[in-house]
Amino acid sequence: MHLVIVGNGVAGITCALEVRARDPSCRITVISGETDHFFSRTALMYAFMDRLQRPELEPYERRVYDEKRIDRVRDWVVDLDAGARCLTLQSGKSMTYDKLVLALGARPRTGGWDGLAAVKDGLVNFVSMQDLDACERLAPLAKRAVVVGGGLIGIELVECLVHFRIPVTFLVREPWYWPVALGLEESELVAAQLLHHGVDVRFGDGLATIQTDAAGRVNGVTTTANHALPCELLGICIGVQPAIDRLRSFKSQPALAKGVLVNELLETSLPEVWACGDCAEIQFTGGRMLNETIWYSAKRQGRLVAENVLGKSARYNPPIFFNSSKFFEMEFTTVGDVMNQPDGTPSIYRRHPTRNVSQRIVHNGKRVLGFNMLGSRWNHEVLQQWIVDARSPEFVTAHLKDAQFDVEFGRFPLSAMQETSIPLKGCWGPT
Amino acid sequence: MITPTLLGRLHHDVTHRGVTAWIVSALLIGFYILLYFTEELVPVAQAMGLDGKWTLYGLLYTVAMVGGGAWVIFKYRHNRYQVIRTLVVVGVQVSFGFSIPLLLKFLQQPEFYFSYFWPLKIEYFYPDQILKFPTPFIIWTVLFGVLLSPLLGVFLGKRWYCSWVCGCGGLANTFGEPWRHLSDKSSTSWRIEKVTIHTVLIIALLSTALAVLSAVLPQSAEVQRLSSSFRTYYGLVVGMVLSGVVGTGLYPIGGTRVWCRFFCPMAALQGLVQKVGRYRIKVKEDMCISCGLCSTYCEMGIDVRSYAQANQSFTRASCVGCGLCAEVCPRGVLRLENVRAASARLPILQ
Repeated sequence: MHLVIVGNGVAGITCALEVRARDPSCRITVISGETDHFFSRTALMYAFMDRLQRPELEPYERRVYDEKRIDRVRDWVVDLDAGARCLTLQSGKSMTYDKLVLALGARPRTGGWDGLAAVKDGLVNFVSMQDLDACERLAPLAKRAVVVGGGLIGIELVECLVHFRIPVTFLVREPWYWPVALGLEESELVAAQLLHHGVDVRFGDGLATIQTDAAGRVNGVTTTANHALPCELLGICIGVQPAIDRLRSFKSQPALAKGVLVNELLETSLPEVWACGDCAEIQFTGGRMLNETIWYSAKRQGRLVAENVLGKSARYNPPIFFNSSKFFEMEFTTVGDVMNQPDGTPSIYRRHPTRNVSQRIVHNGKRVLGFNMLGSRWNHEVLQQWIVDARSPEFVTAHLKDAQFDVEFGRFPLSAMQETSIPLKGCWGPT
Repeated sequence: MITPTLLGRLHHDVTHRGVTAWIVSALLIGFYILLYFTEELVPVAQAMGLDGKWTLYGLLYTVAMVGGGAWVIFKYRHNRYQVIRTLVVVGVQVSFGFSIPLLLKFLQQPEFYFSYFWPLKIEYFYPDQILKFPTPFIIWTVLFGVLLSPLLGVFLGKRWYCSWVCGCGGLANTFGEPWRHLSDKSSTSWRIEKVTIHTVLIIALLSTALAVLSAVLPQSAEVQRLSSSFRTYYGLVVGMVLSGVVGTGLYPIGGTRVWCRFFCPMAALQGLVQKVGRYRIKVKEDMCISCGLCSTYCEMGIDVRSYAQANQSFTRASCVGCGLCAEVCPRGVLRLENVRAASARLPILQ
């Protein structure tokens, strides 16, 4: 059996290793046009800041690919013939498969700004190795920078630019930072952190036009509030979307929605073709659609596809949502549904009087629904369990210390927290 | 890697095996050669009013640890494990590692180090040496060597010694901080390390056994001769070359724990204890983003990421519990704990 995986990101490589662990004999080929070896996209910021060197971005020793007999092909797939079970590569070669896994990943979202077409240099999205190259080339020359987009990648790029003491303006279209995940109160703590580091953060303002010099290098932007901002480095970090554009020109196209449409078994509409990771959009029985762009979901989906490629019929069942992040020095853990609630949903908000530490417990009066924990470490496994067990907000606040995950001697003192009750309010109204 | 300023370039060069790193390493190695194999430093010590080159060395060592310790405490001031651990390990060096032995000498007592134990301080189990000590010192050395060291290792892991007490580890974690990421992370290094460290341990045990045997059989010339030559070579190769010249001299090239990782018999013994003890690094389920900071900043060359991304809490014999993996993790995935040991196979390679 020849398994071909398109994409050497975390979904593709996890799938390859899992297939090998379960089947010592089949032939496995991974095709990627981006890099020779799987690297951790999430660590780009640390490479940019010189805390990691390029080889350290690779999660597996290179000998693993030989030992596990995973063939790597550096090429782009340009056509798929599902009837002949054959791929055409950019180099002109063709490759046949018995089973095919699409792990195409995502590409940065873009917009229709005036002046975009003229840009040849100075614009980065900070999601690819090529972006890292561009950042390292541009940063020493940039006198000012503008970063567009109030999410995780945006704030990571801002942190890197602050590290290099490049004055940076952070344009956040929404009225507060990352409203899909953070309440107004948490986002104010993050904003305070940004101001503390000298970031010129502007809420409710976005990108309108991009100015370039004669050579096509970015030299400034105008915002929707009509402010002119000179800059030599423009970061556009307004999210990602499934990288499915290439598929549209293929002879055999899998059914597409926002991403590659798959069922709960992660099967596409084509025979013997699966999809997983950022590119897959799952349609559950009952019609619910899900496109996850999270590191752990890509791993879980990759493992599940590995089982199904080898003949099982495992259904994808996402866990209670969780995620973590770090905004400069502030650590953030979220579990369950926090902001995805109707306006007015009760929440217990606990804030330390002097330090940038907060906890939010969202509940419906009877049981807890979600947690937003900022500024100290938490064990999401315990918080998840409390949601599964439908624990009451009283039980949770009384046992909160059981979920702390701070270093030894460094357990954050919860007794100093000041507790208030704040009904949730999203910035877009009820969802 | 970008280096916008001259200072930035210099910093990168000295911390990433550039020309300056090789120069610093050559200077350190030169210093150790002068110290161990010549008497050149004696006049320097005397000019400073010190009684000999070893007191000068102790002073320099302690100053390097205090200076480096102050920097480390500032750098990790938000992390109480790092602050407390650094205060303790520097405090132990200043007192037990330097002042108290000096004071004992001043009081006409034998120069005794309360913070070094057998088999690291191997002569503390050589009967002809130990029996010269006052009784309280003998009790101390035997109590720790055979009973308290292993017991503490079972409950706390080897970190109680390697990261909280030991001067070698203390220097690595203070003065050596800029080079901690240089340790080799490959599985090949792990295989080599297992052979070398256990070889030194076996030789240390043999050397001790011969010393005891020669004390029991003073009439056997053969045993006397064998024991004495074992002792001399052990002191030369392990004590001087491996722990001094290689161990510290190679900081800017091979990272800070070359001695602790590949050669130290105390670390080997404590590592075996650690494997059956309670210490472990807990990994939170599915939270790792495989960024690699934990592996990069592990001074013992443990590929921490391979466990973290496989959701596997683990205990590795070599882990000295410095806690830097948990400190640098941007997703708060790791925590040092004293619960119970889990397995430690590299998840992908085996």
